[in-house]
Amino acid sequence: MAEQKKKHKKRRTATRAAASIGPMVKEFIAGTVRAQREGAQKLAYSFIVCHHEEILRAMDVLPIWTENFAGVCGAKRDAERFLQRAESLGFSRSLCTYALCGLGFDHWREELGEMPPDAPWGGQARPDFMISTGQILCDPRAKWYQAAQQYMPDVPIYNIDLPYPLYHPDRDHREELPYYHKYIVEELKGLIAFVEEQTGKKMDYERLWERVRLSDKTWNLIEATYDLRSAIPCPMGTGDAMNTMVPINFMMATQDAYDFFLNLKQELEEKIKKKEGVVENEKYRLLWGGGLPSWFALGDFNYFNSKGAVFPAETTYRMVAPIAEMNIPKTDDPVEHLAWRWLGYWTFWYDKARQRKGGEPDVERLINYIERYKIDGVVMHEAFSCRTWHVGLIWQLHQLAKIYKPIPVLRLGKDGNKTQAWRENPSLVLESDIIDITSYSEVDTRNKIDAFIDTLESVAKSRVD
Amino acid sequence: MKCVMGIDMGSFRVKGVLWCQGSESVTFECPSGGDFEATARRAQKELLLISGRSANEIVGVLSTGYGSKSVMFADETRSDIACQCIGVHALFPSARTVIDVGDLHSKVFSLDENGAPLKFLLSGNCAGGSGRVLQIIAKVMNMKVEEIGEVSLKSKKPVDFSTGCVVFAESEAVSRLAEGVPKEDLLAGIHRALSSQINSLAERLGIEEDVVLVGGGARNPGLVKTLREVMGRDILVPEGPHMTAAYGAALLAGSLYNFKEM
Amino acid sequence: MNGKNSVISSRVEALYRDYGKRAKELKDEGKTLIGYVCSFVPVEMISAAGCIPFRIRGDINEPVTKGDTVLETIVCPFIRSCFDLALKGKYDFLSGIVIPHGCDSMTRSYSTWSYSLDLPYAYFLNIPSVVKPASFEFFAEEIKTYKKTLEAFIGHEITEADISQAIKLHNAYRNKIRTIYDFRKSDPPMVSGVEISKILTVGTSLPVEEANALLDEIIEELKTRSEPPLKTGKRILVDGACVDHAGLVKLIEESGASVVAETTCNGMRDTFPLTDEQEDPFTGLARRYLDKINCPKTYRENRAGSFEGNIADRFGDIGRYAEHFHADGAILYVYKYCDPFGFEVPARKAYYNAIDLPLLWIEDLYSSGTMGQIKTRIQAFLEMIEQ
Repeated sequence: MAEQKKKHKKRRTATRAAASIGPMVKEFIAGTVRAQREGAQKLAYSFIVCHHEEILRAMDVLPIWTENFAGVCGAKRDAERFLQRAESLGFSRSLCTYALCGLGFDHWREELGEMPPDAPWGGQARPDFMISTGQILCDPRAKWYQAAQQYMPDVPIYNIDLPYPLYHPDRDHREELPYYHKYIVEELKGLIAFVEEQTGKKMDYERLWERVRLSDKTWNLIEATYDLRSAIPCPMGTGDAMNTMVPINFMMATQDAYDFFLNLKQELEEKIKKKEGVVENEKYRLLWGGGLPSWFALGDFNYFNSKGAVFPAETTYRMVAPIAEMNIPKTDDPVEHLAWRWLGYWTFWYDKARQRKGGEPDVERLINYIERYKIDGVVMHEAFSCRTWHVGLIWQLHQLAKIYKPIPVLRLGKDGNKTQAWRENPSLVLESDIIDITSYSEVDTRNKIDAFIDTLESVAKSRVD
Repeated sequence: MKCVMGIDMGSFRVKGVLWCQGSESVTFECPSGGDFEATARRAQKELLLISGRSANEIVGVLSTGYGSKSVMFADETRSDIACQCIGVHALFPSARTVIDVGDLHSKVFSLDENGAPLKFLLSGNCAGGSGRVLQIIAKVMNMKVEEIGEVSLKSKKPVDFSTGCVVFAESEAVSRLAEGVPKEDLLAGIHRALSSQINSLAERLGIEEDVVLVGGGARNPGLVKTLREVMGRDILVPEGPHMTAAYGAALLAGSLYNFKEM
Repeated sequence: MNGKNSVISSRVEALYRDYGKRAKELKDEGKTLIGYVCSFVPVEMISAAGCIPFRIRGDINEPVTKGDTVLETIVCPFIRSCFDLALKGKYDFLSGIVIPHGCDSMTRSYSTWSYSLDLPYAYFLNIPSVVKPASFEFFAEEIKTYKKTLEAFIGHEITEADISQAIKLHNAYRNKIRTIYDFRKSDPPMVSGVEISKILTVGTSLPVEEANALLDEIIEELKTRSEPPLKTGKRILVDGACVDHAGLVKLIEESGASVVAETTCNGMRDTFPLTDEQEDPFTGLARRYLDKINCPKTYRENRAGSFEGNIADRFGDIGRYAEHFHADGAILYVYKYCDPFGFEVPARKAYYNAIDLPLLWIEDLYSSGTMGQIKTRIQAFLEMIEQ
């Protein structure tokens, strides 16, 4: 473990913007610890992608993104001791390792009454309250803080339910949206009431609107920025996007997030003008089509790059969609708007999927990205400890191969004649975990990548267009 | 005389092929041991010794396999899938699906009529679907892994293994042995379980005929038999099925170094 | 009475061994069967539609093979087994399937199920993960959508009278199960855990009227039973997720103990709560499924304000059952990769400690291959509580 830590060097990013993220994350983790000491602001354990940042920011609550902290422990290759502690408390190692890491850390901090020794980046501050969310997205998010209460019984929880209708090919989801919307509005209003009670402040709805407008503007800017990555050569890959996911997911509804993407957009435009790509000799354009990354092995993206492969797009952590295409009903109430945006985001690909035989939203998104970003192959990662993002991936690749074959080839028939045929994009599924490094083998992973590059090469050679 | 060398540095055994212009190729294999780098050098030395060639006749060395990057004297490194495809295609031009049962993983891949790899899948990180499970069971039975296939063929009533997990397969085997289940039935059961897992992997990839079985696992007659049964189709097995990647590596080295004739 | 003419040892046993046997016959008779997993699917609606709800079961003796070609191995082993069997054609008599938002393993595999099986009817039922007034309102609406899709499938309306009738029938089923449970209260119990496991499993594979008739016969048989099926031993409560086979209970009872209660998904967690027959049926169903089924998936606000108070609220029903059935010890049986139960293990352990009930926590796969290892642990646990 010690050796692994020592060997771990700073990873090279393609963009300056991505390189600036590390210190930023460090600062806001340190900032929460500072804030807790100073006591001026309330701190809330929070989960990303709940469309509640606007509410928290408008009420001056400082979110502590517990998934982020676990990811930081993973990236620093220092999660193992917290995972082991969680295991010793009776949590199975097969559960979400973000949550295990967080629970192990919390238990340790509460036991000591101070940060555990050498806590990564100064450690995670004790919250004033916790905001859970079951959604229909992630069981651990509904259980994590509840489990943490065993070690912090005085810290209250508010659990927001944020469901969305699942896709059915033969039914229009719009018929169900009204009762979903009504429920989500009530849930978000419940959150506001809870935060009002915790902070002793009243919500200023004008301020909330400002925050909502700011994030809408940022969503659109992110879309425009990421679309630039379709350029050839590609100016920014998924390796960088695993850094730039920070302002998307941890800083939404702040001016800093907006400014960050303004800068990034400008940087990408300059790169495109200079034809400056992530790799010098771009051979393969890949889509990171599913799965959270192994935070301790982001260097694998650089390894792909060393083989001439670049990732112009990823579905992971790109938790925004063009607002204008969502047809959000006009409303005077920012909470209603947030609820519509939530539903708009999760059902974004439904109509498009329905138009294709055998279509399904997740697969439709892959197809859309493959075309938009001129993709040659799809890579996914199956993290053993997380069902939320990693169940259904094999099926998605199956379905993709079945309904979408974009590569023209000649095939030798039994009669000896060659006929035109179509082949699917090659795909690769890596296996490891988000932060549990014991599940990772660098040799194995890189052998797999090598083999995948060899397939990409032979598929490219057999193309006849 | 010009010679090329292909080294397949597997996690269990190293396989080497030395091929010199105008003569038959020679082969060498031995356990990989802990030190891949030293084992690779040993293979190189032995190949030269067997063939009576000198080091300066070698114009190119291509390494492949799990530890390919530990072969410090290699000029080129390629993935084992690329090398297997070349090796298998040279032996069976009709091959479209290759199943490679190795120590750490089972791999399935499909190749086109030119022997180019199109897609591949590996068994999971846990050793359940790989040759490792046979080694573990052999150990439990106090037998050599080379013997168990033959013994399993005698079974008339294979035991059903309900889990693919190696850890549990091991304890399941221990308790069945204690119950007095005959060795051959237990072995036939484990071969069947492994075959089912390999078949699932192949079905996930999509099977096209002809199907060729290679890798150390293909030397096991029990596995070949059960795999044929489980897959319900014929499976071609080359002679020296564990050597095909090394052979492909040598062939690839030959083409990289303008080597015309064998 | 335990001999040849026994309902339990002949009919129940046959239906248990050849699971789906009766369903196949019904399908051949022209009936429509709709499969489901988890306790959260309001089966009343399927019965009200004139269809037969059929609980999809796994098989611990059948290795997962075909399922692995499309579904990740990190899915809960129980769901993996169910899916594998479905894909292998074991449930080909089904015309539809309902999967609820029970856990990520179900939710995230819904597309995989619905596309791979390609049945004429498939529905994903959304279940709130919290219990608040707004959640009941939402859930009642969701049940109405579920009803609408069933109506579109069967081609006619489901009336409120149909639903009320189905609610009565399913309540009757649950009451009969309770009556059977009463035979466990004596020491030794007059019905074994293995028998109950099989009855519970078989009960959800039949049309509710048939199941009720079968339970009546079982109750009659138990009333006249003179000899207890087991010797006096320690009385065990089994807590955990879905245990739809007798394998685990058999291990426990073969080790000299009796299983007297099971707070599992197909046990008391599902079979004890009733639907209020006085209420409007949608509200009644919403209340029963969302509030009365005490599943870790559903978050309940910590009203007590303390950890001890919170676990007493969350798990109090377990303690009451343990007391009611005079349990001497409990086995918390949790599947690997099960996030909802997995994250509750320390809290549940604390609860068992608080009520002073000895506990053995087992994490397992869904496979008979692991039973050997578990047996050793169970025996050691029983020896410990004997002392």
